[in-house]
Amino acid sequence: MSRPTAPRRRGDHVLAGIPVAWLVVFFLAPLGFTVVYSFGVSTFGGVRLGFSFDNYRTALSGIYLKTFLATARYAVISCVLCIAAALPVAYFIARRAGRHKTLALAIVLIPYLTSFLVRVMSWQILLARGGAAEHLLNALGLHAGPLDVLDTRTAVYIGTVYAYLPIAIVPIYVVLDRVPAELFEASHDLGGSRLKTFVHVTLPMSRPGIATAVLLTAVPMLGELVIPQLLGGGKGLFMGQAISSQYLKSQNYALGSAMAVLVLAAVTAIVAILARLTKGFDEVGG
Amino acid sequence: MSAGRMSAGERTPRRRMPRSGRGWTIGLSAWFAVAVVFLLAPIVAAFVYSFNVGTLGKQTATFTGWTLDWYPIAWQDDSLRRSVTTSLEVACWVAVLGLVVGGTLGLALVRHPSARVRRLLSGLTYILLIVPETVIGVSLLLFYAQTTIPLSMATLVAGQTPVVISVVALIIRSRALTLDRGLEEASADLGAGRLQTLVFVVLPHLAPAIAAGALMSYAFSFDNLVISTFLTTPEVGTLPVYLYGSLQYGPSPAVYAATTAISVVTIIGLGLALLVMRIGGRRV
Repeated sequence: MSRPTAPRRRGDHVLAGIPVAWLVVFFLAPLGFTVVYSFGVSTFGGVRLGFSFDNYRTALSGIYLKTFLATARYAVISCVLCIAAALPVAYFIARRAGRHKTLALAIVLIPYLTSFLVRVMSWQILLARGGAAEHLLNALGLHAGPLDVLDTRTAVYIGTVYAYLPIAIVPIYVVLDRVPAELFEASHDLGGSRLKTFVHVTLPMSRPGIATAVLLTAVPMLGELVIPQLLGGGKGLFMGQAISSQYLKSQNYALGSAMAVLVLAAVTAIVAILARLTKGFDEVGG
Repeated sequence: MSAGRMSAGERTPRRRMPRSGRGWTIGLSAWFAVAVVFLLAPIVAAFVYSFNVGTLGKQTATFTGWTLDWYPIAWQDDSLRRSVTTSLEVACWVAVLGLVVGGTLGLALVRHPSARVRRLLSGLTYILLIVPETVIGVSLLLFYAQTTIPLSMATLVAGQTPVVISVVALIIRSRALTLDRGLEEASADLGAGRLQTLVFVVLPHLAPAIAAGALMSYAFSFDNLVISTFLTTPEVGTLPVYLYGSLQYGPSPAVYAATTAISVVTIIGLGLALLVMRIGGRRV
């Protein structure tokens, strides 16, 4: 895609230089520090630089390893639940909402105009014993008696799916919206059943959207801090909370850095898998 | 939550519906309705419970009675006011910086003559988006501590920019891709310098993307908790951090009142902005 343009060097350098300079200072350098520190040795309130894998050994053993695995599991399960819930919604908006597409999309995005923290806190009210969720489930006959989900894994999953649902819906919607309706009709006219059409047309077409949705949900879930703290009663510890407490409470910067680098490694793994699964990864955010 | 099954349907209501077509439409609509209820329930709950009496000044899960007192109490709460002011100030700075840095990045992603530079920049843009906020937060805390830069509003603003820059760059890029290069060449042929072309041709075309980017940056910053948690000081505390801190002692319904009021103001402001854009002439 290179274009034969007259050399307009200086302007182009400025254009690329401003963001690169800013990001080197306020993003890449700090991350570099973290990587360097993860090989150091923690001293009282500081770090002696060195080169040892001790922090990684600690971070990959005992309670820390458990935390890491629990976080990975939580991210995978929440992400799957989120995509499963988002797919039909995105499909509905793209293909069935007709003239009301924009309105339907706006409704899905309304939560972003309100405080994230208060929305998560409201789940404490909704999920409490004798709360709205309990009444609703009892009325529908899906659950009998008092509801005790607050401060459990279940509540954390509900809160997480809730928080990330819109982010999962939008990219899938964008991709499905671009698929010409004729494709679906053609599949039908050629005798494809609904299930076949879904498996052979809808899913392959929405793959880049699903990949983007996975990226935008699973990755932040690996560092999730607030939801487990508020809805899980802070009990089932996840990576985000563990890293945060290494820095803010126990001041073990070296170990905290090693854990942060491990999270980054997990993120890289997710990206690599997604890149392998989808061609045309440049769809992200488009 | 029940398991939702779905399948592809076709949009030919005028032709005969396949046997299962109507069923799928109903199923999909029902799923959408459930999702909307799910998404809006906490917002409605927060609104209702901002009028809850509570007990001993704390919010309770069981509704104990209606009161309007929490709104004036929230309005008069000094620390709450201070944190809102700080949040507004930080969000404005983040929006401005995000636009300048993210905007140049977005333009460079489309316009830079070298394909390799474009690829590198695009890689950088995605990296910004996928590093979890917790990692950004602790890295910056460590970085500022080691370079002995004291934490202040400036460090907090800078800390929130990476994510915002990425989002703005992607929005600007997708809009810049639709800009006809011929227009710029025509502008140059007619004797405009590069700066004039930028101001009179490129920027007007990017206006909707600039507005959307500014709005998203502002919203992100105003609501940001994780990065801010690591970078606040007793002097510089944003609203989410202040609220998060108050949770340890059990939040007062005044918190719900304050955030509800802010949300209402935000939605009204957004509605007005959209109206002004509608009236303010045709969009490019």
